[in-house]
Amino acid sequence: MSKEYQFIDHTYDVVVIGAGGAGLRATLGMAALGLKTASLTKVFPTRSHTVSAQGGISAALNNMGDGDNWRFHMYDTVKGSDWLGDQDAIEYMCRNAIPAVIELEHMGVPFSRTEDGKIYQRTFGGQTLNYGESIAKRACAAADRTGHAILHTLYQQSLKHKAQFFNECFVLDLIMDGDGVCRGVIAWNLADGTLHRFAAHIVVLATGGYGRAYLSCTSAHTCTGDGNAMVLRAGLPLQDMEFVQFHPTGIYPAGCLMSEAARAEGGYLTNSVGEKFMERYAPHVKDLASRDVVSRAITIEINEGRGVGPLKDHVYLHIEHLDPKTIHERLPGITETARIFAGVDAAKEPIPVLPTVHYNMGGIPTNHLAEVVNPTDQNPEQVVPGLMAIGEGACVSVHGANRLGTNSLLDLIVFGRAAAYRANEIVSKEKIVKPLGAKDGEASIEKLDRLRNAKGSLKTAEIRLNMQRAMQTHCAVFRTQNYLEEGIKKIQSIMTSYQDIQLNDRSLIWNSDLVEALELENLLQQSFVTIHSALNRTESRGAHAREDFPERDDVKWMKHTNAKLQGNQVSFTYRPVHLYTLTSDVDVIPPQKRVY
Amino acid sequence: MKFESLLRQVLGLGSSKTGLSHWIHQRISAIALIPLGVWFVGMFIVLLPASFEEARIWFSSPWTVALAVFFILALFYHGYLGMQVIWEDYIPHELTKWTLIIVTQLVSLFMSLLAIVSLLKVFLS
Amino acid sequence: MVQLRLPPHSRVQKGKTYPSPSQGPRMKLFHVYRYDPESQENPRMDTYELNLDECGSMVLDALLKIKDEVDTTLTFRRSCREGVCGSCAMNINGTNTLACIKHIDECQDDIKITPLPHLYVVKDLVPDLSFAYSQYDSVQPWLQAADNPPPDKERLQSEEERAKLDGLWECVLCFCCTTSCPSYWWNGDRYLGPATLLQSYRWIADSRDEATGERLDALEDPFKLYRCHTIMNCTNTCPKGLNPAKAIGEIKKKMVERVV
Repeated sequence: MSKEYQFIDHTYDVVVIGAGGAGLRATLGMAALGLKTASLTKVFPTRSHTVSAQGGISAALNNMGDGDNWRFHMYDTVKGSDWLGDQDAIEYMCRNAIPAVIELEHMGVPFSRTEDGKIYQRTFGGQTLNYGESIAKRACAAADRTGHAILHTLYQQSLKHKAQFFNECFVLDLIMDGDGVCRGVIAWNLADGTLHRFAAHIVVLATGGYGRAYLSCTSAHTCTGDGNAMVLRAGLPLQDMEFVQFHPTGIYPAGCLMSEAARAEGGYLTNSVGEKFMERYAPHVKDLASRDVVSRAITIEINEGRGVGPLKDHVYLHIEHLDPKTIHERLPGITETARIFAGVDAAKEPIPVLPTVHYNMGGIPTNHLAEVVNPTDQNPEQVVPGLMAIGEGACVSVHGANRLGTNSLLDLIVFGRAAAYRANEIVSKEKIVKPLGAKDGEASIEKLDRLRNAKGSLKTAEIRLNMQRAMQTHCAVFRTQNYLEEGIKKIQSIMTSYQDIQLNDRSLIWNSDLVEALELENLLQQSFVTIHSALNRTESRGAHAREDFPERDDVKWMKHTNAKLQGNQVSFTYRPVHLYTLTSDVDVIPPQKRVY
Repeated sequence: MKFESLLRQVLGLGSSKTGLSHWIHQRISAIALIPLGVWFVGMFIVLLPASFEEARIWFSSPWTVALAVFFILALFYHGYLGMQVIWEDYIPHELTKWTLIIVTQLVSLFMSLLAIVSLLKVFLS
Repeated sequence: MVQLRLPPHSRVQKGKTYPSPSQGPRMKLFHVYRYDPESQENPRMDTYELNLDECGSMVLDALLKIKDEVDTTLTFRRSCREGVCGSCAMNINGTNTLACIKHIDECQDDIKITPLPHLYVVKDLVPDLSFAYSQYDSVQPWLQAADNPPPDKERLQSEEERAKLDGLWECVLCFCCTTSCPSYWWNGDRYLGPATLLQSYRWIADSRDEATGERLDALEDPFKLYRCHTIMNCTNTCPKGLNPAKAIGEIKKKMVERVV
């Protein structure tokens, strides 16, 4: 290795990669438990994408006196997941939602309040009472900026507990040993261009989703799923990558999120003839059906020529009939976004919207304790020692084939918390962190060096745009075999074209040219796995809608896809869905037809 | 070379638990100066064409002298407080800053004493 | 005395000009501050000509277009692109704001983009905010309560009490306000600045927090708090429409309240 690259070595009990909601909840939990914890993040913590979450965090607190119960929440989540979610993990999440959200309030999250001073809860898509009977008020909200409120509070708590932050530090790869144990990570500090190796008992990946694989997404520029790609490169699988959620209401054309809270507070969608078309697709809950259902409905309306605008390529979201007080108090953020990005006064006119990539249900397979799983033939629950994953990057799987709104913030908090507890159990047994070998991480540096000096002919942005276009065209709301196969060929050739990449910034301090190239590699690997997984699953379930296989096939496909990437080959194994619960306090919810 | 942590630099010497009285006094003296200033300027305009004897008679009233002393105290005190802020704002060099603040304080004190003694001299004559 | 000119190594020189490959009715020149820490050169202003018909509507879109297609070495922070994360704070035509919610059309003539003022520049439009972050840390911006909260329930807070936090908790920590404040420019090493003071007041105003006295104690200082001379740049520049000057005024009011 050249002299130019010198490692600075660190030793910690736990290293958390990513400082969004899940990463920070884990970091502060671990720091509070007395573990020596480092948080590595490529952006300053409050810039993480959790900050954009709007509507709320679900927990059956029953603050609105509607008789809510965590069992109803569990039922809704299982149904929302189209029975692909693991029911033990879902039970864990829905039960622990209540203490986890109360803890957030105790930490200082500025939740909106009810008249009697409790946390305000609103309705949200797919959240019901009495197993689908009526609509539940379950989403605990801080106006329509709940993610912002939670993320800032978690960062503040991390400061309180003196967690150590390495901000603007880009993690390149995991360091795995010959026995398949994760021993640490290698990272590049943007601020001064130094390279760091962190040895730790446990590495927690909290690196989020990879929405930027698509052209139109609600995700931030930084949502490139770096942890997922690290896992692929470590020879471990990613699970259920075919399930990509399209949010029904991304603002047209910029793609920024218009929260479901808009419909929860009484908003509705119309097509070009002014019809409230959701009444046809989900007669029961109408505009508050699950996101995959609404996204498909909008796509069908547009495909059948009932879109609005000169190109008939979007629909309208109406909130102008709502009480101005409600708009001001409960929806200030989206009113602002509508004004800035669509030039629309939402209190007077409808907001143009269209389905936009929003969330990745798939990711790093874990159990409900947040430990990463690498299924083998003998043991589908084989744990990878030293490695945990939480947040959108993880696939616990609580969201299965489709995530319900407000379950994402919940996932972050509940499993961030679980990771802290589990890490404490593991670390208290271990004594000394084993030092890294001299050669550990060298391969990553060689790649970094090669890229930094790349003199090809294609700019990063050019390759990225090709990938995003291919994914948007070939792996969107509706999918068919021909289209997916064509998409695979395209992504494959785009991956080949990556060898011809051109970088112009040769520095190490804040070389964002290099960061984007590394992120693009991560995105390409995930795109490839995603589109392969989509072709592989020959059924329609949740967010994965195959036009050539329109029905759910529980006999053949009631199982998780686990995909590994070796060179240009994607290989699949399967993991059974957990059709069992953690305790006897609740019964398994057997598969039913999913109608709203 | 500086290895001092950022937080140590930020916290510095800690809060001095002062500043409030300075802030209040600056505002109170400013409020006092509004009517006093109007009165003083008005008096000045009226007395400008007058002779020394007429002015002396005017300044033989305890009301006039008390108001004028009040004005002088408020003016120099307010001026000193304002100048102190200016030095603190714009003079990064510690020794220069402190020298200027002390000199301003002493000069203000002396100037106000000088003005008051002069007034008293007229009043008592 | 006050140093009015930049030190020799920081003086900005004329840089390169990149003409647009395509022409159209809506052309615009972007003058962008460039600084490479690994070269020995002074900072420079590079000029990029863009065809606005091929570009998104926000200033951030223009910067992305430059980075993607014209000059990949251009460096700036960005993330959410919808004005909630606070990454892309920079000075656009003399005003600190978030590039992602600043419409190009709002700017007459050419657009001049520089990093947030009066901070050390790491590279191009990326300033070093670590000192400002430490100032934020120094006011202990977390809920402090002597009493344990009810174990299984939330602390109660009325709608009116909660409403007092509106206009405070929405702050995105972009530091547009702090770096627009002349008082912060002169005494940023000791004055906490509007962003941090607003955050401190966010907790003073929170009915659940029990450390108001300690918080006021920690702020009562000619430099930490009273360097605010109500210049109002903070409020005028806040891209989120918040009012830090009012928050600072409220702190000063509380200081008076506890002595009279």
